[in-house]
Amino acid sequence: MSRALEIAELALSTTRGGDAEVLVHAERSGVARFAASIVHQPTLIDNAVVRARVVRDGKVGWAATNRSDKERLGEVMGRAGEAADSAKPDPDFPGLGAPGGYPEVAGYDEETASLGAEDQARLAAAAIEAAPDFGLYGYFTSGVTEIAVVSSTGLSADQSMTDAVCICLAADDGASGWSERTSWRVGELDPAEPAREAAATAAKTRGAGTLEPGTYAAVLEPFAVAELVRWFSYDSLGAQGYLEERSYFCGRVGERAFDPKISIADDALSTANLPKAFDFEGTPKQRVQMIEDGVIRDVVWDRVTAARAGEGHASTGHAPPDAWRFFGPLPTAFSMAGGEAGSTEELAALVGDGIYVTRLHYLSVVDPRGGVLTGMTRDGTFRIRDGKVAEPLVNLRFTVAMSDVLAEVPGLTREPMLVNLNDLYDERFPHAALVPALATRRFHITGTGSGPGL
Amino acid sequence: MKALAEAAVDAAVGAGASYADARAVSLRRQYAITKNGQVDGLSDAESEGVGVRVLVGGAWGFAGEGRLDEAAARDAARRAVEFARAAPGLRQTALAPLDAQSGSYRTPMERDPFDVPLTEKIDLCLRAEEGMRQSKVKVTLAMVRAQREHKVLATSDGVSIEQELVECGGGIDAYASEGDVTQIRSYPSQHSGVSGQGGWEFVEQLGLDREAPRVGEQAVALLSAAECPAATTTIVLSPEQAVMQLHESVGHPTELDRVYGTEAAYAGTSFLSPGDLGNLRYGSEKMNITSDATTPHGLGTFGFDDEGVPAQRESIVTEGLLRGFLSSRETAARIGAGVGGCMRADGWSRMPLVRMTNLHLEPGEGSFEELLEDVAEGLYMETNKSWSIDDKRLNFQFGAQIAWEIKNGKLGRMLRDATYTGVTPIFWGKLDAVAGPEEWQLFGLTNCGKGQPGQEAHVSHGASPARFRGVEVGVSA
Repeated sequence: MSRALEIAELALSTTRGGDAEVLVHAERSGVARFAASIVHQPTLIDNAVVRARVVRDGKVGWAATNRSDKERLGEVMGRAGEAADSAKPDPDFPGLGAPGGYPEVAGYDEETASLGAEDQARLAAAAIEAAPDFGLYGYFTSGVTEIAVVSSTGLSADQSMTDAVCICLAADDGASGWSERTSWRVGELDPAEPAREAAATAAKTRGAGTLEPGTYAAVLEPFAVAELVRWFSYDSLGAQGYLEERSYFCGRVGERAFDPKISIADDALSTANLPKAFDFEGTPKQRVQMIEDGVIRDVVWDRVTAARAGEGHASTGHAPPDAWRFFGPLPTAFSMAGGEAGSTEELAALVGDGIYVTRLHYLSVVDPRGGVLTGMTRDGTFRIRDGKVAEPLVNLRFTVAMSDVLAEVPGLTREPMLVNLNDLYDERFPHAALVPALATRRFHITGTGSGPGL
Repeated sequence: MKALAEAAVDAAVGAGASYADARAVSLRRQYAITKNGQVDGLSDAESEGVGVRVLVGGAWGFAGEGRLDEAAARDAARRAVEFARAAPGLRQTALAPLDAQSGSYRTPMERDPFDVPLTEKIDLCLRAEEGMRQSKVKVTLAMVRAQREHKVLATSDGVSIEQELVECGGGIDAYASEGDVTQIRSYPSQHSGVSGQGGWEFVEQLGLDREAPRVGEQAVALLSAAECPAATTTIVLSPEQAVMQLHESVGHPTELDRVYGTEAAYAGTSFLSPGDLGNLRYGSEKMNITSDATTPHGLGTFGFDDEGVPAQRESIVTEGLLRGFLSSRETAARIGAGVGGCMRADGWSRMPLVRMTNLHLEPGEGSFEELLEDVAEGLYMETNKSWSIDDKRLNFQFGAQIAWEIKNGKLGRMLRDATYTGVTPIFWGKLDAVAGPEEWQLFGLTNCGKGQPGQEAHVSHGASPARFRGVEVGVSA
C-alpha cells in the first residue's frame, strides 16, 4: 500500500456525515535546473496534498491540506463538509464514483524511484558535459508521484508512477538549439543525447536571416507538434469546451475535417507514454480516439460533463487535477499516429520549399471556436529549399488555424517521440505527448522576432 | 514558526553552508465558483511547510518539506546542502550587502475575507451570474477568492521577518455563442478576475453584480459585430489591456535573472543587456514605469521580500529611458547596482526568483475622452483575450475581447476579434499619450508563471488608458 493510499484511508475514516471522496497526490522529486552549464536552481520537494470532497443532500464542498496526521485530516474533512453545507444542491452532480476494476498499467520503475539529489546532479552533469561548445540550459528531473482516490461509495484506486525528464537548450549569444527526453524508466534516458542534439541544432543557427510573412509549407519537429496539439486541446478536445460551444469540434463530429493521415488519440494506458490507470476522480482510464483518419470522432469526458451531456455519454477517465479544473476534462496522453517518413529530412524533401521548425514558444488561443493559435518559433528555425533544410531563420510569429495546419499533410515521421508536457507547476503530474514530426502545406507566418540565441 | 526557521538556518550553517535562509509558510486559499446558476466549486485549502535555501561553495541548494516542525526544517537544511554539494559547475556567488533586518508586516484590512460566510460569497456569485444572463449567453461564470499567507523568514546574516499577507478578489465571464461564432466578455479581467491585498471590501468595491448586465449584453453584441479589419492605425488601450502590455513587454524583460540567462530554457531571456542600464531608449518620453512594492492593495506589496530586503519604490523607465532592473541580492551584486528587493517564492516548496512586485505605467494627463479627441481614425481595445510574446520579449501579439472604432475623436461601431502586434521598443516609442491619474486603475493578477519547477506569482499593475500611433492591427490566421 502506498503512502498516498494510507493517508487517503485515514482521512476517509474521519468523515462525519454525507458521502466523501479523498484524493491524495504525493510527490518526492528533485529538479537539477541548470543555466550556462551550471546547476543554479536545484530543488527537492517532498509533499502530499490531501483533497477531500464531501457530498451532503446533493450539495458538494471541497477542502485540502498537506498535513497527514489524523487530527488535521479530520479537520479538513470537516471543512469540506461545512463547504458542502454552504453550497446549493447541484442537479447535475453525478454522485461519487463506484468501485470498479482498473487496467493493469506499467509506469513505475524502482531504479528511477531510487534516484536522489546526488544522482539528479550527476545526470544533469552528464548533459552539461555532452555540450562543451555551448552553454547548456534546462534541467534533469526525476520523481515519484503517488495518487490515491478512495470514497465512501467503495472506490479505491492507487498508483505510483515514476518519471525522468531531461530538457536541453544549447545556446550562446547568436545560436540556440533544443532537444529533450522523457521516460518513466531512467535507464532509457541518456541525458547526453538531448544535449548533443541541441548543440548540433544550435551550431546551424548562427547568422539567421529574416522571412517575409505569408503562408509556407513547414516541417514541425515533435516538440512543436506536441505544443500545437496541447494548446488546441484546451478548448477543443475536452467535453467542457465541447458542451460550452468553444470547441472546434462543435457540429463537426463525424465530419472529415483534417488530412486522412491525421489520427490523434489520448492513450494513457500505453507503455510508450507515461502510463496511468485512472483519473483524478478514480475513474479507469480509457483510450479515446479523438481524430481518426482525419475524421472528428470524440472528445474526452469526466463524470460531471458526461452527466451533463446525458444519455449515451460516460466518463472516459479524464477528470483533471484540481489546478486545471477550469478547463474540465482534458487529454494528457496524446498519441498521434506516425506516417511513412523515416526522418525529418524526408519530410523536408516532401515539402520542397518552406520552413523547418524545431520548437514553439508562448502559445495563446486567439479564437477557440476557430481553433486559432498564435505563438513564436525558437531554438532552431530554418528555411527549406529544394527539399533540404537550408539557412537559419530568426524566430517567426505564427497565427494559424489548426484546421489549416492539419488540412494537407504531405507526411509524418514513422516513429513518434515522447515529448514532456509537464511544466512542473503545482503537484507533480507527469504527462507527455507521443507524437511524430509532421509536414504541413499551410503554416501562416505573421511576423518576425528576435534571432536565435540568448 | 520562527524557532523552526532559525533551526533550519543553524542546521544549514552547521552542515557547511556559507549562507542560508529558511521560510516557514502557512498558506490558506479559498474560492467559490458558480456557473450557469449552480455552485461549480467551493474549496478551502491549506498548505504549510518550510523551504530552505543554502549556498555551499558558491552553489545554491534548495529543499522543501511539507511539515512545520523543527525536525523537518533541519532535514530540509541537510538535503539542501547535500544538493548544493552535488551540483556541477564552478561559480562564485556574491550577494549584495543587506543590513540585518528584523520586523513584521501585516496587510491592512477592514473585513477579513475568511470571516465572510461562504453562503455570502455564493450569493454574490449567483447574483452576478443572474445579471449576465441573455438569450444567446451559453455560459455564465462568477468567482471569488481569498488567500492568507503567513510566513517567517530567517537568514544566516541576521534577517528575522514575520509577515501576514491577505488578498481577495473576483471576476465574472459571459460566453455567448451563435452558429460558428463564440465570444467571451469578462469583468474586471479574463485572468480569474482581479485580486488585491486587503479585506473583503476589495471584492465589494469591484461591483461584480453591478457590471454583470453590461458584460452579458456586450457578449451577445459581439456575436454580430464586424471583425477587426487589418490596418496600421492609432490604438487606445484600456487600463486592463495596457497592464498586460506592460507586464509582458516591460515587466518580464527587466527581470535581471532573465537578462543574465537563467530562465533561457523556459520563459526565455530578454532583449536587454546589463549595459543598457541608463542608456537604452525603451520608449517615448511619455513612458514612465515604476516598480513599487508599497502600493496599497497591490498583490506585490509586502514589508520585505523573500530575501529580507525592505519594500521599495523605484523607477524602471523614466521618460522613455531604462533606469532600473528588477533584481535579487545576487543579480544586484552582479550588475553592481541596486540592492535587490524583488525575490519572491510561490509557497514554501519553491526557491525564490526575481519577480515583479507592483509595476505601473505612471499616469499622464487628461481624461479618456481627451485621449480620443486627438484620434481621427483608430481603435479602442478593452480587456485582454490572447497574449503571446517571443523569448526575448520583442515580438508580441495581443488580442482584446472587444474593440470600437474611433472616428473623429468619438467611439463608433463595435468590433470583435481585435488583435495588434509589434516589437517592444518600437511599440513603446509610439506611445504619445497616457491619460491622467483620475483614469488610473490597479489590476492584480494571480497567474504569472516562471521557473522550473513552475511558480505562479501574484502581481499588480496600474495604468491609465494609453494611446499608440501607427500600430498594426487585425492579424488573422
